[in-house]
Amino acid sequence: MQITKSDTAGMTVAILDGRLDTATAPAAEGELMAMLAAPGLVLDMTKVRYVSSAGLRLLLKMAKEAKGKGAKFALVALQPAVREVFEISGFDKIIPSFATVADATAA
Amino acid sequence: MSLTLRLPPETDSVTRLLDALEGFAEEHDIPIAAMARLNILADELAANVVMHAKGATHLEASLHHIPGQLTFILADDGAPFDPLAQAAPDTTAPVGERDVGGLGIHLVRQMASSVEYRYESGRNILTLTLADSAK
Repeated sequence: MQITKSDTAGMTVAILDGRLDTATAPAAEGELMAMLAAPGLVLDMTKVRYVSSAGLRLLLKMAKEAKGKGAKFALVALQPAVREVFEISGFDKIIPSFATVADATAA
Repeated sequence: MSLTLRLPPETDSVTRLLDALEGFAEEHDIPIAAMARLNILADELAANVVMHAKGATHLEASLHHIPGQLTFILADDGAPFDPLAQAAPDTTAPVGERDVGGLGIHLVRQMASSVEYRYESGRNILTLTLADSAK
């Protein structure tokens, strides 16, 4: 899992590349949690092929942390397999997702 | 067409398994959507063995492809344990009350065409099938 950080419209954007699964989620956790601060963090998921429950565990932890910090937390460009996992797990109801980074920062 | 891997019960094995499955899918022109679904389920089942199988010395994964269908079988020699016996998680709770326990097996149940567990000759054996098409 490669993570590239950038800034757009005052928000931090993390571009993820790879799988968010059992083996990669623990390593990504420290890096992503450190980026989570107000006004907010957007995860660009364009290059994330899939997310397993280990990835969901991390995303849920981040959503809870963001809520506690009063920071925005959103995902962008969910790929079909990621969207399917989100719908089955009900994560589409608790973590906002957008088509583009511009849509996420404007929301 | 099939693939068989025998691996030690550790987290690195999950990575090796997923890499091997991706390689197999590419080689056999299995659509990305089907491969992604297969890998999510393989991750859930293999992680389950690595984290919960007491006394397992290895896990053995195999994938068989016939036109229209993928069959994935995961076996381990740990103590008898049926992961499918877990209760389904609450997928409607708000963020503050959410817990992800049981979510992995929930994904397996929902995304596979079929999944069954059996304990045979000292091994836990999980067999799942799914379509090899994009949807």
